[in-house]
Amino acid sequence: MDDPVKPADDVARDQAVSRRGLFKYVLLGFSALATAGGVLTPIIAYLWPPKQASAAGGARVDVADAEDLPVGKGEVYSVANKPVIVVHTPDGYKALSATCTHLGCIVFWNEQREVIACPCHEAYFNTNGAVISGPPTAPLEEYRVQVEGDKIYVEGGNG
Amino acid sequence: MEATSGRSWRRRVGDWFDERFDVRIPLEAFLKKPVPKHAIRWYFCLGGITFALFLIQGVTGILLSLYYRPTPGEAYESILFIMNNVRFGWLIRSIHSWSATLMIAFCLAHMLRVFFTGSYKNPRELNWVAGTFLLLLTLAFGFTGYLLPWDQKALWGSTVGSEILGIIPGIGPWLLGLLRGGADITGLTLTRFYGIHMLVLPVLVVVFLAIHFVIIRRQGISGPL
Repeated sequence: MDDPVKPADDVARDQAVSRRGLFKYVLLGFSALATAGGVLTPIIAYLWPPKQASAAGGARVDVADAEDLPVGKGEVYSVANKPVIVVHTPDGYKALSATCTHLGCIVFWNEQREVIACPCHEAYFNTNGAVISGPPTAPLEEYRVQVEGDKIYVEGGNG
Repeated sequence: MEATSGRSWRRRVGDWFDERFDVRIPLEAFLKKPVPKHAIRWYFCLGGITFALFLIQGVTGILLSLYYRPTPGEAYESILFIMNNVRFGWLIRSIHSWSATLMIAFCLAHMLRVFFTGSYKNPRELNWVAGTFLLLLTLAFGFTGYLLPWDQKALWGSTVGSEILGIIPGIGPWLLGLLRGGADITGLTLTRFYGIHMLVLPVLVVVFLAIHFVIIRRQGISGPL
């Protein structure tokens, strides 16, 4: 604080980075970045979830025997690691995603009231997947379902 | 230049903590020890390298635990998954395996250096003892980790290795059962070794490392030959 007042030029020169200093910062900075990148890249890539063979979509899955699902019944099955609800309505089979579009609970078939219900926040869907009442704003996604012989097949991963 | 704004940010952070906790002087006394000239040799780095390898084992071990499953049905499968499906899984697992071997090698090399420079002598006997415990813990790490891949080599390696414990007169068979969690190597042994490897040994090693480091700071590096 007792220094005599310096001209502005000298102050700027004092605070400026010298040539040697610049080289030092650039080289050190580059080394540090390269090392951090070399260590962190594999770690972050490692943490990234890998693709699982069983989660592959598009496969046709044999979910049940037709005789196990008479008219008026509904059941949740696993199709390519995702829950799918299959309902046998008087008009035929319906397969819908069993994951509630509100907050992801698994829905079930309410046989007496003939609706698909979500136990978490009392949501109701009809057999076309449309919302009847409750908090969800989107319908349940539909899956293709086929009956061949006495087997029920659901085509997974169309969404 | 003496104004607050002129101080470097590191100095300012240090001042902030010092003002509140009054730690600068005790910390500096503990951390700022110049390495004596006679100790600036590559063979005085062996213990530090062992510690660095332990840190690498910690990081890669935590990463492996994210995908490894310690059950007889799934252990080997999860290893294949890490090696084949997880990005850089082969790298992380191989680093863990190689560092394990190297950690034991460097532990022994460090021990030889301490022996031949006579550094274990009075007043440092207890640090030699702490170091011996660290060697045993490192070997225990290696032994328990060897079983985890759950392949033929792991199973028979652990069978033979644990069988040695059973030779101890009297209590041998009892100790063997305690280690294996039964008469043979089963899924119970796998979870047992997994728990020891992941939870028990890391805590013990950290405790003994703390003792090891506090003593070396307190006594300093031994004098020249």
